[in-house]
Amino acid sequence: MAANFWASSHYKQLLEQEEVDVVHSPDKEKGFTLEDFKLIKMQMSNYIAKLAQYVKVRQRVVATAITYMRRVYTRKSMTEYEPHLVAPTCLYLASKAEESTVQARLLVFYIKKQYNDEKYRYEIKDILEMEMKVLEALNYYLVVYHPYRPLSQLLQDAGMTELTQLSWGLLNDTYKMDVILIYPPYMIALACIYIASVLKEKDTTAWFEELRADMNVVKNISMELLDFYDSQKVTADERIGAALHKLALKP
Amino acid sequence: MLEVDQLLSKKVADRYLKKEVLGEGTYGVVYKAIDTQTGQTVAIKKIRIGQYKEGVNFTALREIKLLKELKDPNIILLIDAFPHKNNLHLVFEFMESDLEAVIRDRNIVLSPADVKSYLQMTLKGLAYCHKKWVLHRDMKPNNLLIGVDGQLKLADFGLARIFGSPDRRFTHQVFARWYRAPELLFGTKQYGSGVDVWAAACIFAELLLRRPFLQGSSDIDQLGKIFAAFGTPKPAQWPDMVYLPDYVEYQFVPAPPLRSLFPMASDDTLDLLSRMFTYDPRQRISVQQALEHRYFSSVPAPTKPALLPRPPRKGDSLTSRPPDLNVQEGPTVLSPPRKSRRVMPQREKVEGDAHQADRVDDHFIDVRQTTGGNTGKSETMPMSIDFSVFGSRPPPRPTLNSADRSHLKRKLDLEFFPPE
Repeated sequence: MAANFWASSHYKQLLEQEEVDVVHSPDKEKGFTLEDFKLIKMQMSNYIAKLAQYVKVRQRVVATAITYMRRVYTRKSMTEYEPHLVAPTCLYLASKAEESTVQARLLVFYIKKQYNDEKYRYEIKDILEMEMKVLEALNYYLVVYHPYRPLSQLLQDAGMTELTQLSWGLLNDTYKMDVILIYPPYMIALACIYIASVLKEKDTTAWFEELRADMNVVKNISMELLDFYDSQKVTADERIGAALHKLALKP
Repeated sequence: MLEVDQLLSKKVADRYLKKEVLGEGTYGVVYKAIDTQTGQTVAIKKIRIGQYKEGVNFTALREIKLLKELKDPNIILLIDAFPHKNNLHLVFEFMESDLEAVIRDRNIVLSPADVKSYLQMTLKGLAYCHKKWVLHRDMKPNNLLIGVDGQLKLADFGLARIFGSPDRRFTHQVFARWYRAPELLFGTKQYGSGVDVWAAACIFAELLLRRPFLQGSSDIDQLGKIFAAFGTPKPAQWPDMVYLPDYVEYQFVPAPPLRSLFPMASDDTLDLLSRMFTYDPRQRISVQQALEHRYFSSVPAPTKPALLPRPPRKGDSLTSRPPDLNVQEGPTVLSPPRKSRRVMPQREKVEGDAHQADRVDDHFIDVRQTTGGNTGKSETMPMSIDFSVFGSRPPPRPTLNSADRSHLKRKLDLEFFPPE
């Protein structure tokens, strides 16, 4: 979308890291840590991406759905808003908002295919009920800007289109974190280009200087992303399982 | 009085006191309500959910999405949204009338300054949309609402879209036919803000003529009407025309002088009209340029919104006014006393205000019946003739009815994302 980000509700809604990293009290009471909270959000991002592959929607829809899900959890607890229902609902809502509707019926079919476990299998009516709650939690703000378009424009401008694949992959991974809620999209794009150029040993100093972007922010995002990759080296599956187990505990 | 009010009206959610039904919107009932927190009168659109097992209506969602981003004095304000009893409710500022009611009301005289004011507000709202990369795609007089303070506001964003992505193909099935730009009628899938400019030009012409300007009865006929008014475009005028998907060659007709279609219009008016009615969308004036056109800086200055003539409000026209038998205005005054736009002929009793609502309905059905037979006649009349002289009405305007809408919805869903 080529609309003006600076005049958008997305820009006005950007949060500080501390505002995003809040474990809500019903979750806290279950012994839920910030780490658990982040892991489940990551897991649900993966789940959305997986479902999206089945129902065949564009990356943009996936990105919007994940953003919705992350916005919901800045306001609502996972105890009240079951992640395994919120995630597909966000995909459903995002597909409508991004003008490429996926039928709820189809989504339910693939949810059932994904989970043998009875408790994560949802029906159409569950999704539609949750849709209304998600809309409310989002305060009906549905327009989201993503770094994909700025990324390709910036790479073109820098004459480094050979970095497209690598930086695009990095960008996809940023959605496993909350950066989209915190930074303007073009900053996220710049961070991905920065990492990619360092990895490929391209000298981009002059280009970045000319852009006059705040390099501290770019480097912060880059560091966050690298830290995230580091933490992923320790196999996450076990930890996710433990976190989900905590969530399943009855209060 | 307040207690009686509360007995008569149902409370929706905690905040809004529901009053009478205003009409049927594109995807649900619209009713009047009082916001108990502010005392403000509002209009609430109730969106039915779960009818087709597809949750929140796609069109409604689109409207919510865009209106949450659009805040401008000339765009309808979405105040609030809330779920209630499994229905989604959208709360809008209450609007007293709409431009169609103004144009149709024979008791209203629109001076050149009034026309200028209405057009300016229309274009200002549109310019804001385009600045935000939003295409309205359903510009027509009954989507231009008029507030208590006389401000005109763009409403009904159910067909609106964010544009600006290159190569994104859109459906050409947008706008009510009379307001559709020639490139849409030729089936283009890639279009821009020019389609809204064309529709605004049709509204401009309608303000001047006091009846819809180009009343085609089919898409083919619509193009015929356009070419009859402005001449069949030559390839030099519009090079891309011949490549459009549904392009068909029309017999060449020369353009009559624009002056002959709008005999009373000033030179500035005609110049702006011709720039807005330019065939080639690439050469058509933009909304911003139109606002900077000398038409708006030359005399007369646009009338202040609060001073613009407006149709009488419902209460005035039905109760307090003595019967008006002025012969010059034709034997019957058929303009609906209240917004005709949303009021569909409905037979069920409307709670709270049943008696009045029934009268409105009968009235409205009358309008439709008397207009039906005149369709053929009006087309043969010279364009500058005022219908009121004959006491007849222009044919009813085509709108997107619900069948079209659902068809459209399916089409929109299918066509927006061609295989990539």
